[in-house]
Amino acid sequence: MTNRRSWPAGLFIYIVLITIAIIDFYPVVYMAINSSRTAVDFFKNPGGLPLEWNFDNFKALYYRFDVLRLFGNTFFSAAAAFVLTMLLAIPASFAFAKLRFKFRQGLYMTIIATMTIPSITFAVPNFLLMSRIGLVDHLESVILIWGITSVPSNIFLLAALMRGIPNEILEAGKIDGMRYFQTLTRFVIPLSAPGIITLAIFNTTGWWNDLFTPLIFLQSDDLKTMTVAVATILKRFDTDYPLLLAGLFMTSIPPIAIYIALQKYIKKGLVIGSVK
Amino acid sequence: MNIRTRESLAGYLSLLPTFLALAAIVFYPMVNTFIHSFTKWNGATSEWIGLRNYSFIFNNGELWTLLRNNIIFVLSIPGILLLSMIVSVLLFEEVRGWKFFRSLYYIPTILSSVVVGMLMKMMFAQSGVVNQFLHAIGLSDGTLEWLARVPTAFLVLIFCFYWQTLGQGVLIFLSGLSSISNEIFESANIDGAGWWQRLMRITLPSLVPTIIYFTVTNAIYCFIGLFPLVYSVTQGGPGRETTPIDYMIYIKAFQSPGQLGYSSALSIVLFVIVLLVSWAQIRLANRFEE
Repeated sequence: MTNRRSWPAGLFIYIVLITIAIIDFYPVVYMAINSSRTAVDFFKNPGGLPLEWNFDNFKALYYRFDVLRLFGNTFFSAAAAFVLTMLLAIPASFAFAKLRFKFRQGLYMTIIATMTIPSITFAVPNFLLMSRIGLVDHLESVILIWGITSVPSNIFLLAALMRGIPNEILEAGKIDGMRYFQTLTRFVIPLSAPGIITLAIFNTTGWWNDLFTPLIFLQSDDLKTMTVAVATILKRFDTDYPLLLAGLFMTSIPPIAIYIALQKYIKKGLVIGSVK
Repeated sequence: MNIRTRESLAGYLSLLPTFLALAAIVFYPMVNTFIHSFTKWNGATSEWIGLRNYSFIFNNGELWTLLRNNIIFVLSIPGILLLSMIVSVLLFEEVRGWKFFRSLYYIPTILSSVVVGMLMKMMFAQSGVVNQFLHAIGLSDGTLEWLARVPTAFLVLIFCFYWQTLGQGVLIFLSGLSSISNEIFESANIDGAGWWQRLMRITLPSLVPTIIYFTVTNAIYCFIGLFPLVYSVTQGGPGRETTPIDYMIYIKAFQSPGQLGYSSALSIVLFVIVLLVSWAQIRLANRFEE
C-alpha cells in the first residue's frame, strides 16, 4: 500500500502514532527514571526529573532483598519446567503430526480442549496433592505445574510445525525403538528448532510473569520468584515508591531484553496462533 | 508384528507420558473439584450437601456482582479492538519509521500484569503523576481518589488492560492486513476506488476472521486472566466491587478457611462460562467459513 499521500494525511498519521507512543512508553520511562532517586527526592517532585540521581534502591534490592536469588529461582524453575514440557510435548506432537493410529483425532481434540480449562479450577486439588507429597514450598511443585499445564498449548504449535516436515525424511520403517529415537533426535528436533526456540521464549516469559502458581505453592521469602516477591515482599514498602519502582524495573528487564534480542521468533509464534 | 501395528504402538507410547502427566495434574484434579463442588470441604474432611453451594452462588446475588465485573471488562473489548485496528491501518500505510512504532507498542504487552498493575497503581495514586498532570492542564483539582470509587477504579483497571493489549492487537491486525493480497488493492486502484472505499470494501471485510480471533481470545482472557491485575491494583475493592470470578475463587480457596466446597462450585461455574465462550468462537468461525 505505498500510495502517494498528501502531506496532511501523513502529518495526521504521525500525530496519532506519536501520541499513542507517548502514552504507551511514558509509564516505562517513569519507572526507569524514578527508580534511580531517593524517596525524599521523589516526593519533592514526583512528576519531574530527580534532583540527584541515586542508585541506592538497586543496592538495596541486591543486598537486602537478594534479588539475584529471586532471579535464580525464577530462571531455574522456568528452565526445568521447559525441559519437562519439551520431554512430553515433542514425542506427542510427532505422533499427532506424523504417525497413523486409531483415535488420533479424538486424542488430539482432548489435548486441545484441555487448553480451555482455567488453571484456577484445578488449583485446590493440586495444592492438596503437592502438600501430601511434601512439595509445597519447594520449587519442584511450581516446576511440575508449569511444565505439565503448558504441554497442550505447546503441542498445538509444535504439531502444526511438524506436519510440514516432508514424509520422505521420516519413512515409517524407522519405528522400532532405537531408530524411532534417532528419527526424533536427528531429524524432527533439528527441523523443529525454530519453533522450539519460539516456545522457549513464550513459555519462559509467560512463567516469568506468572503470579498465581508461585504465589500459592511457594511461601518462604527465599524461594519466591521475582514477580511474586515484588507483589508480596516489596509491597510491604509501598510508601517507598522509588524502591518499589526499582523492583518493578528489575522485574521488567529480562522480558524486554529477550524481546529485543529475539523479535523475529516472537512474531513467528504470534502469527502461527492468529492466522489459521 | 507388522508395520501398521508397530506404527500404532509408537504413536500410543509417544502420547502416554503426556496423558499420564495431564491425568495427574489436570484431569483428576478437575474431577476432584467437580465432586467436591457438592460438598462442604475444608481440605481434610468433606460432607455431602448436594446443590447447596450452587444455589448459594446463584441465589445470594454474589455471582451477579462477580459476573458483572467480568462483563464490564468484556464490554470494554470493542474499544481496544477499534484502537488496535486504527493504529494497524495507519501503520500499514508504512510511513517512515513505522517498524519502530510497531516494536515500541509491543513492549507493554511483554510486561507482567503484576508490574503493570503496581506501576499504574502508583501513577494513579492521589498524589501521583496522573492527578498532577490533570491538575496542570486544568482538568481536575488533582485530588481525585481513583481507586476509592468504583467507576474510576474500573477505569484504571481497564486502562491497564488496554495498555497491555494494544501491542498484541497491533501485531495480530498487521499480520491480518499483510495477508490481504496486493492484487486486490491494485485492481481497486485501477477501478478508481479511493482510500476510504478501499478500507470499507476490502480491508475491513478481509479482517473479519482476525476480529473474531482477537475478540474471543480477549473475552476468554477477561474470564481467566484478570487475577494478577486485580490482585495488584485494587485487591477486588472497594468491597467486592471490582472482584472478578477467578479472584473470588482464589479468596474463597486460599484466604477463607473451610470454603473449599464453595470455591470448587464457583470454579465449575467459571469453567462452564469459558466453555460457552469457546463454543461460541467455534460456531462463529464455522459460520464465517461458510
